Amino acid sequence: MKIKKGFVLRTVCGENVIVGEGLDAINFGRMLSLNETAAWLWNKAKESGDFTAESLSQALCTEYEVTPDQALADVRETIDNWSKLGVIE
Amino acid sequence: MNKVYYIVAEHLFCVEAQENLLELLSNYEPFRSEKQDNPLFFLTVTQGKPVSFIEELRQDEEGQDIICGHTEQGDAVFEFRWDGCTAGWLVCSADYRQGTLYLSGFQVKAAIDNALMIQFAMASATLDTVLFHAAAVSLDGKGYMFLGKSGTGKSTHARLWLNNISGTELMNDDNPAVRIKADGTAVVYGTPWSGKTPCYRNVSAPVGGIVLLSQAPHNLITRLNGIGAYAAVVPSISGKRWDSLIADGLHETENALASNIPVWHLDCLPDADAAHLCKDTIAV
Repeated sequence: MKIKKGFVLRTVCGENVIVGEGLDAINFGRMLSLNETAAWLWNKAKESGDFTAESLSQALCTEYEVTPDQALADVRETIDNWSKLGVIE
Repeated sequence: MNKVYYIVAEHLFCVEAQENLLELLSNYEPFRSEKQDNPLFFLTVTQGKPVSFIEELRQDEEGQDIICGHTEQGDAVFEFRWDGCTAGWLVCSADYRQGTLYLSGFQVKAAIDNALMIQFAMASATLDTVLFHAAAVSLDGKGYMFLGKSGTGKSTHARLWLNNISGTELMNDDNPAVRIKADGTAVVYGTPWSGKTPCYRNVSAPVGGIVLLSQAPHNLITRLNGIGAYAAVVPSISGKRWDSLIADGLHETENALASNIPVWHLDCLPDADAAHLCKDTIAV
């Protein structure tokens, strides 16, 4: 999977928000608020280009104190949400 | 060709055109500048033939189309159309500092205004400046801006302040500029662009509040904070957000406004009570 072109993570009044700014995202018409872990995952996903739930959860385990199972469950939930909102493909 | 210089929101720019075209620009007179060194951008206005370009996006508003794109060489292009007829093509360097407007001969004045608004908004976006779609009034030394979709009643609400709150003045009815100064203060400025109302005043005031208007069967005002304030402000600022430098610049200014300026949402009727409620809440 990868993040769709045109979606950008912004810091708005101290909070993490995904906004659609690129040509392919300009009609997104909403803002998606992310908690700290989700924002960290977004940056990781952006860095990797292509990612899977497994690759992100492995990365998450090296950064945060979390069991592999818990990490994978959290990442899946986050990715599902992004997928439903159409910010990844 | 003659050159004239103008200062809007403390940004200097230069327009070069034949005298008969410059004579059309009476709305810019209050902004004339003697100073000529180091303008932010230049616009040359000339007659021209269609420019061929690769289309990126069409923006349609109130019978007017702006088609954005770029040439094969990488210059930015904006084509202006009214009711399907092209008035001109603005061709700009990628940093928007050098522009040429090729006029078709139809809607000449409107094409020049559009070209200057676009070049101003783009060239100043990275310099803590945004061009709003809003009405702005001043009261007791502060500026207040009313936002909302077309047809919501921005101008109407501004007029209700003028008619019911003594000391209120109209700063601009459609396109005020806002600039974040070096000390962090947000200042709203009148501009040569004011929609259908001829209000071309070279005035400025620190921003006291920003109000997003919605039509409603009652009057109710609520404070917006954080992301809510940001989401209220962003749709009222024009810009080519798919250019990441522009998007970064606009975001900086929008975030500063959402963080530091009181932003409100006003459900309102077009009546005097709406103006009083708004004023009594935000102008304290």
